[in-house]
Amino acid sequence: MRNRATTGLKKPKIRQSWSKWNLYNMQRFRMKPPHVRTHFQQKWDAKSVARNYHGEQVSEKQWARMFSPRIRSVVSMNARQLAEDDGSKMSAGRGAGLHQTEEEAFKQDEKPIPYAQMTFAPLERRLDTAVFRAMFASSARQARQFVIHGAVTVNGKQMKYPGYLLNPGDLFQVEPDRVMYATGAPKDRSDRRESRLAKKAEEEAKAREEAAAAEDKEQEPAEAQPEEEQPMDPRDTLKALLFQAKEILSTDKSTLPAKRKQQLRGFQKAIKRVLSRSESSTILTDSLEAQFSQLTLLLKAKRTEQQTDEKAEKAEKAEKAEKAEKAEKAEKAEEAEKAVEAKKGSEESDELKVPRPAESESKPSTSDKQTLRDNLSEAFLQASKNQEVDMTQLDDEELEVLKRALVQMRENPIDHSKPYATPWLPRDYMSAFATIPRYLEVNHNICAAVYLRHPVARPGWSEVPSPFSDHVGTMAFTWYLRRR
Amino acid sequence: MVVRIRLSRFGNRHQPFYNIVVAQARSARDSKPLEVIGTFNPIPQRPTNLSEQEARRAKAYKEISLDRSRARYWLGVGAQPSDSVWKLMTLVRLPLLRRRLSISTTVTDDDCEIITTRLTHCC
Amino acid sequence: MAPRIQNQVVSNTLLPYLSSSSTSTCLPRLSTSSSQALAYSPRSSCRSFSSSVAPQTRQRREMFQWLSGPGARFKNHVPGETNYLTARKTPDGKLLRTSRPFIDNQQYRSEPILSVDLQNEIYDRVVKHKKSVRAVSVELDVDMRRVAAVVRLMELQKKMTDEGKSLALPYGRAIHEMLEKTEYEHGVGASRSHENINDLPSHRLTHPQIFYPVSESRQFNRVDAGRVFSGAPALEHEEVARNAVDPYAAVTRVTHKPSAIEMVGKGDEEHQVLQPADTRIPHPHLVAKERDSLNHPEETYANRKVYNERLRAEEKAQEDRRLKAEERRAKRMLRVQPEDSRFEFRIQDVVVSRETTGKNGRGAAAPGRRYGVPANDRKKGEVKIPTRVVV
Repeated sequence: MRNRATTGLKKPKIRQSWSKWNLYNMQRFRMKPPHVRTHFQQKWDAKSVARNYHGEQVSEKQWARMFSPRIRSVVSMNARQLAEDDGSKMSAGRGAGLHQTEEEAFKQDEKPIPYAQMTFAPLERRLDTAVFRAMFASSARQARQFVIHGAVTVNGKQMKYPGYLLNPGDLFQVEPDRVMYATGAPKDRSDRRESRLAKKAEEEAKAREEAAAAEDKEQEPAEAQPEEEQPMDPRDTLKALLFQAKEILSTDKSTLPAKRKQQLRGFQKAIKRVLSRSESSTILTDSLEAQFSQLTLLLKAKRTEQQTDEKAEKAEKAEKAEKAEKAEKAEKAEEAEKAVEAKKGSEESDELKVPRPAESESKPSTSDKQTLRDNLSEAFLQASKNQEVDMTQLDDEELEVLKRALVQMRENPIDHSKPYATPWLPRDYMSAFATIPRYLEVNHNICAAVYLRHPVARPGWSEVPSPFSDHVGTMAFTWYLRRR
Repeated sequence: MVVRIRLSRFGNRHQPFYNIVVAQARSARDSKPLEVIGTFNPIPQRPTNLSEQEARRAKAYKEISLDRSRARYWLGVGAQPSDSVWKLMTLVRLPLLRRRLSISTTVTDDDCEIITTRLTHCC
Repeated sequence: MAPRIQNQVVSNTLLPYLSSSSTSTCLPRLSTSSSQALAYSPRSSCRSFSSSVAPQTRQRREMFQWLSGPGARFKNHVPGETNYLTARKTPDGKLLRTSRPFIDNQQYRSEPILSVDLQNEIYDRVVKHKKSVRAVSVELDVDMRRVAAVVRLMELQKKMTDEGKSLALPYGRAIHEMLEKTEYEHGVGASRSHENINDLPSHRLTHPQIFYPVSESRQFNRVDAGRVFSGAPALEHEEVARNAVDPYAAVTRVTHKPSAIEMVGKGDEEHQVLQPADTRIPHPHLVAKERDSLNHPEETYANRKVYNERLRAEEKAQEDRRLKAEERRAKRMLRVQPEDSRFEFRIQDVVVSRETTGKNGRGAAAPGRRYGVPANDRKKGEVKIPTRVVV
């Protein structure tokens, strides 16, 4: 639910928030035309709209104390120029430099440094603002709540003060789960219902277990194990698994999100069922590689390549041809998808969760995934070496599919205990606000960032993200300058 | 009158912090001393930036700051450390401390060892 | 909180905003009827009793119209592209993506972040290949502080994965899809520049404008300007001649030992002489390299050799300084771990003297809480929260 007190429509104010209300306000925001306002009114307008965005959670008194008329700026030096001239060229002649051609003068004419846009730079030092700027929270208010609720650490120590002023080199970290909650799509009605049911089922199971334990105590010589699960034929299981994995990774737009979820859940269950047959008790929580090798071991899967006769070669050739074909197909499909997506961008207005970028997840874009996959294939190799009997044969394609499904399920699983909709998707309208200023270096995977230095202005650019024009900045600066 | 080296309590409620001071024995605890020669923070601090396992094994630490040369001087001119200050000073191994004590209380070196261990035990 | 809406009152018009299944087609039609109804029905009656259409303000209507019309493209991102308000449609219907997230602010742009590949490369070069932060910074055109931060964060990530903590992987991937990135291109010198690594911070002393007459025959360079800004007398001729022979040596004399910088002024006004830009930039050795290639353009091999030597010397000097500082710290800090104690004791050596306590014994530099000085910890305007967290 949006905060009605902060994002109204009647008197639009721009806030540090990613809500759609704020986005709408931002795109229609206009200052009153300066020619109908006195200078004082202009200053007043400027400082009030600017303060609604910058440090709205900070009291005016506190901000007035933080304000500093001294603004940090840098100039990018060119080593070549420094080497060519020790400065005497600049001061030569009558002090304004030697006479230069127009071209040279144009080259030297740098953009002015936007000092006025740096008026609110001291607020960027605040911990809550920095958490918002690092994109760990969807609004500055939420960032503040994270800090107060103890989810933020600075240099490994819990820091409960949102007003803590970061020093250059400070590393701050937010609990990843909170960040996923803040930046993820919210649960819809069916999600909430499912999580309720899951919780209930869990409680019931617990109660039943307890009851069973109590009964066991009463009648000591109970049967050791209820019933041995009938081990399925590994070949069939593998086939089924593969089918499911393919289903998950298919980028077919027509599947409804609910259906997709069902598929994912089915796959998860199947994997669990297979792995629970393993002797090691920790396999369900083990690393991906271990799981995968165990999986292949259990299902006695084997790569076709290991066979050394001509058959294999033939198979390989066929495979290659197939691969090429498939790659082509995939490319075409991708193009089509993009077109569809672009279209959808303009068409879609419904809040329904669209069956969206599952394909972006399966894209082998990031390199950590690459390494993961490398590890996986190594694990697979070892697994296949260790065994003698081969019952089922998988070609590379199928293996890849299985792996990818496993990776995706592992990284972005369905988990009803989470406070956000699973599998995780970015919340709506997030991309319109996505920006990370240069004074922060952020590692999003661990939700940690380093405050490198204070924000600075440089010729033409300012580092303080602000939605206002430099006129507003200048007027606000003058307003606060008055009180020093 | 005896000059003592003792602690005087600063800080807030539940946040003790001590100055190690040199003062006349009969003066009030927190009155202005002859000299402040150091501080003692009795609240154990946890070392940061460790992994969970390391953090579990790591010992918490207590911070002491002390001007050793001044402490040596005051011991040399006959200032008597209080029990708690003596305990802190044994950690620094000030040479005058043991001799001075053994003279004043006429205990042997061995006894001194025993007292030292007893006192370090309680902190 | 939103006003609670009773069941009877919920009509079709409100449904799009209560549930999450609005469509663009139904909006305009409903909105016209509702606005007419609103104009004649008093608000209170429409709430509890009337079965006429529920209140629907013009503002809300317009907002949802915008969100379903031109604003719809902001809802989801296209991987690999920014999605900002400033994007404009060209006449032929294409969307021109920009890097400015704010319409009015021409001076802020969303600058590219380091791609995962580049981060890994930085980490590998520093940790695996044991290169210095300075060298990696020059090679990849990334600020030294950023290089250090990347290494620190990657270490933390490794630690967290080893401890089996859950990471926010899908979130990280989504963010990297939304923002522009500086990619790492394999091959030396091929990688795109991430940022300017030789930024010169503007110094407080250079803010005032000074009118300083100089004879036309004099070579007035950056060193002289710095001295004028800080109000120091001009350098002696011998000194100038010495610096002119080897400018880089003059720079290193200062950068390796910042305490050797000349002081001017008296009492509280005492400050260091402002150093020229050649000294104050993070990579002064790059200037020396350029000077070499200007003076001896043919001897690329020799120049390169000299450059590498300089880099090595710089690293060594830095390492020496670090070791020395550590030694000094260790000297002042005694760590005692009594066998039978649960705690470690860290004993810091401090100095109590006339210099630290001051004439009246109230000097802030002396150890301990002071007497006769009010504790301002609860005073208005004092910072009452921590100001730093020691690593």
